[in-house]
Amino acid sequence: MEHPILFISIILEKLGLPIPHGPVGHGFLEQICAPYMTYTWFTMIFLVVVGKMTLGNLEMVPGKGQNFWEILIGGMEDFFVENMGRELTDKLFPMIATFALYIAVANLIGLIPGFMSPTSSINTTLALTIIVWVTHHVIGLRANGIGYIKHFLGPMPILIPLMLPIELISNFARLLSLSIRLFGNIMAKETLLGILFMLAGAFFAPLPIMILGVLVSLVQAMVFVLLTVVYITQANEHAH
Amino acid sequence: MSKLSKEMIHLLGNYGHIGFTFVAAIFIGMGLGIYLDQKVFDGRTAPWFTFIGLAFGIAAGFKSLYDIVKYQNRD
Repeated sequence: MEHPILFISIILEKLGLPIPHGPVGHGFLEQICAPYMTYTWFTMIFLVVVGKMTLGNLEMVPGKGQNFWEILIGGMEDFFVENMGRELTDKLFPMIATFALYIAVANLIGLIPGFMSPTSSINTTLALTIIVWVTHHVIGLRANGIGYIKHFLGPMPILIPLMLPIELISNFARLLSLSIRLFGNIMAKETLLGILFMLAGAFFAPLPIMILGVLVSLVQAMVFVLLTVVYITQANEHAH
Repeated sequence: MSKLSKEMIHLLGNYGHIGFTFVAAIFIGMGLGIYLDQKVFDGRTAPWFTFIGLAFGIAAGFKSLYDIVKYQNRD
């Protein structure tokens, strides 16, 4: 399901760059110019530019922009410290906070006509999920050493043949569920908006879905971050 | 943010993914079984690894439910 109008794709097409007609193109340049890629770049540029504009010169008495970021970042840091502890938060705060901001903004820009959510493509969400998944194993290995394998061996030695496959499957299920939940929710929102806009755009039919879309976007970004925190906390703990 | 909505968000995050995690575990277990049956053993062991994988997948689903509840009630 294509969006009605994607202005970055139109601009790039006018510049003579190949725009794929399906969701993913064939050649290298076509894949680079796929809508989810261009809108990922757009989201990144948006975050960097807004951050630079509002935080260009830090002041002791914060203005409007700085106040907003202080509340947001401060709230997130408190939340992480509450769940992960001080040490892990210092290590991982940049990554997880970036994910939170990126996913929230990426979900929300899909509500504006002419934009699409980069997170409505499985490629984006799977990339984010793989980073989180690898990170939580690295954290677990660094915290517990070789004893990290005890996380997968169950409570007693006699149950190892039973528990090892179960634990491995439930661990890989994290990879699947984390990526497909975000992708599915956002893709559903985008598709529903597109269909309603085509059917009855003149009667403001997409409006209720847009209100729900704001809720879904924020909740999904939060769920992703919360689960990242939970996984990392669990990997960091000692095995039972 | 008020205390109630903070707790609400916490609960939403912790329990909102139960359904998806459960289904994903079953799919991975069964997919593994089907892969073993059809690709590794060329269909000679036809239904058995699928069923074993399905059983492990369902068990893994319940295990992840148990983990979620245990994490919520820790210390």
